[in-house]
Amino acid sequence: MDSNFYLSTIWSVLKALPLTLEIWLFGVAIGLVIASGLTWMRASGYKLGEYFARAYVFVFRGSPLLVQLYLIYFGLSQFDFVRHSPILWPILRDPMYCTILAMALNTAAYSSEIFRGALRAVPVGQIEAAKAFGMPTFTRFRLVTLPIALRLALPAYSTEIILMTKATALASMVTIMEMMGTAQKIQHDTFRPIEVLTCAGVIYLLLNLSIARLFAFVEYLLSPHLRPPPEQSQQIKPVPEVL
Amino acid sequence: MEFLNNLLDQLSTAYELLAAGWGVQLLWGISWTLAVTVVSMLIGATLGSLVAAAKLSSSGGLRFIGESYTTVFRGEPELLIIYLFYYGGTQVLTGVARSTGSIGPTDIVNMPSFLGGVLAVGIISGAYQAEVFRGSFLAIHRGELEAARAYGMSALMRFRLVIMPQVLRLAVPGLGNVWQLTIKDSALISVTGVAELMLSANKAARSTHHSLLFYALAGILYLVMTSISTPIFEKAERYTSRSFVRPK
Amino acid sequence: MSADLAAAAKSASPPGDDKAAISVKDMRKSFGDHEVLKGISLEAHKGDVISILGSSGSGKSTFLRCINLLELPDSGEVRVDGELIRMKQGRDGRQMPADIRQVERVRANLAMVFQSFNLWSHMTVLENLVAAPTHVLKRPRAECLEQAEALLKRVGIWERRNYYPPHMSGGQQQRAAIARALAMNPKVMLFDEPTSALDPELVGEVLRVMRSLAEEGRTMLVVTHEMGFARDVSSQVMFLHKGEVDSLGEPKEMFARPPTQQFKQFIANFNK
Repeated sequence: MDSNFYLSTIWSVLKALPLTLEIWLFGVAIGLVIASGLTWMRASGYKLGEYFARAYVFVFRGSPLLVQLYLIYFGLSQFDFVRHSPILWPILRDPMYCTILAMALNTAAYSSEIFRGALRAVPVGQIEAAKAFGMPTFTRFRLVTLPIALRLALPAYSTEIILMTKATALASMVTIMEMMGTAQKIQHDTFRPIEVLTCAGVIYLLLNLSIARLFAFVEYLLSPHLRPPPEQSQQIKPVPEVL
Repeated sequence: MEFLNNLLDQLSTAYELLAAGWGVQLLWGISWTLAVTVVSMLIGATLGSLVAAAKLSSSGGLRFIGESYTTVFRGEPELLIIYLFYYGGTQVLTGVARSTGSIGPTDIVNMPSFLGGVLAVGIISGAYQAEVFRGSFLAIHRGELEAARAYGMSALMRFRLVIMPQVLRLAVPGLGNVWQLTIKDSALISVTGVAELMLSANKAARSTHHSLLFYALAGILYLVMTSISTPIFEKAERYTSRSFVRPK
Repeated sequence: MSADLAAAAKSASPPGDDKAAISVKDMRKSFGDHEVLKGISLEAHKGDVISILGSSGSGKSTFLRCINLLELPDSGEVRVDGELIRMKQGRDGRQMPADIRQVERVRANLAMVFQSFNLWSHMTVLENLVAAPTHVLKRPRAECLEQAEALLKRVGIWERRNYYPPHMSGGQQQRAAIARALAMNPKVMLFDEPTSALDPELVGEVLRVMRSLAEEGRTMLVVTHEMGFARDVSSQVMFLHKGEVDSLGEPKEMFARPPTQQFKQFIANFNK
């Protein structure tokens, strides 16, 4: 076997890993901010905000991410005001920014549903106890509702974040040379798609497994109350199996 | 208002463009998208039930194969799987044809794009369906299986009379999600040249320079497809769980 | 603390028209068409221990939860230490608190003990005891910690101070919940069926703690099914039947000569 070819392919794809991670990190982070806004709108009790959030989730969950990406990258530049805007144009003509934006908008829809579910799943008794002790709304949210909801949201949210790692590959469709784009190019040049894509596949898999591990560890840190009590815990293996 | 003018411009040209043949193109695109999705779902259902059975089996080897399948095909970018089946298929077919001497040393046998796309999306769909089936099986009340055994039913009878109907009932909502996922994944096989909705919209956008119009239309059509399937699956859920609804 | 001292503590609060620790006037509450509370009044003075009895569906838990506004009563007045909780007409026609700050302040004085404990599951026992005093009463953390440890010693679970609630037995959790309520130095303690969710063998340890609180002169409203506690510990017994006060009086008297047919039947069912 031609192990040099494998090694050089893996090395070339790995050189694009920072770019993949950059898209992923910014997409997820901005998405988290938007998702929090949407969750707040859904929970606030304002009818208008609630309808907006519902419509948003419906649109972004119901259509493929690729369509959303093309609509942002190719579609929005149809507007003259976009092309002439000193703020919008530098963002919307750049495929990198467009990918990050599309990913953020998309993951926000899914994440906000996860957060909403988690908020609703916080046991009523826990919130009632906080009320009964005179905690003001914000204190109650910070000390009781939020920590419990975060813990409940974590498993589903980590799955969503792994979906986002996969989604970064779409950046290659708008000329970004992240890992998928790089693999595509090597495959075109060498006409050895099986070998090249296998190399890229292994890297993606390892990346996702590490992210899953990381989240499992965070989950472990956040849930001392779900572990066995102190004197028994020595016999328990710390990190649970995932993925 | 430049924005409003632009929008009105777009709207007035929209009708002309659609009437000029792009509308029919999009309709063909929809039917190909549905065809791809249905075939992929069927491939996925077959693979998914086998993989679910493997994951639930008592044999460690089978469990490992099942786990690997779901981990790999849920963990890889869909695009990568599609490229692997399309270009990889071409690589294999060409290799075989060259070695048997049926084509010249510089000729290429292309993977049929529909086949390549449907296999890739079907295999991904299978990974998600396997999880749905496995979850449904685990949700069956253990007592019912014990009862079936206690009444002397054979393994096949237990499967046909007790397990199968229940798994189907419990799996319907999950399968609804996978169906929507598969519709959305089908948009990616436009890269192989299957003339489904995404590719039709792409072609129209490129040749008319009206990207906004055609991508927005595609988005809306996908929305329609994913949202009309929701009530259908809800109806299916009601039908399959009719014995669990209390009579009024 | 002896029974004499408790009696002394009680007699120290002058009887009659002084400020009651808590007073409820004509409280009404409906869920849909179903009227759960049909005008209930109650007055508790400092050191009073009032047991609220009634079969399930009599409205006794709703009554308690209406006092600290976990449920919003449709009408009626609640005064804590003479201070009226001000209500206003909401947009949907139901009444709601006029000033949520006032409600929060009052609630901090009415520490509640729940049937299902409701200890915050993501905090250790010690953190549970410290959370409200530091964040609601704004007391210094060191002082709160010191008091919390003392309270945990008193209810006998100091060794478990660093445990999370799910790691303790029901009885231990409820004792921790009582300590959490005490950490607020409340004027009145509300107990909502504190022993109903416990296994029978764990009821005793919780009742012992409650009895010692009664003996040191705490003002307590106790919704309960524990006839022994109602008869021996409380200073008054209130019996609710179908959303109304059926009878009210001294426990010894009430149990010796049930004033109404309903109450007679109620205790008869329990003694079976």
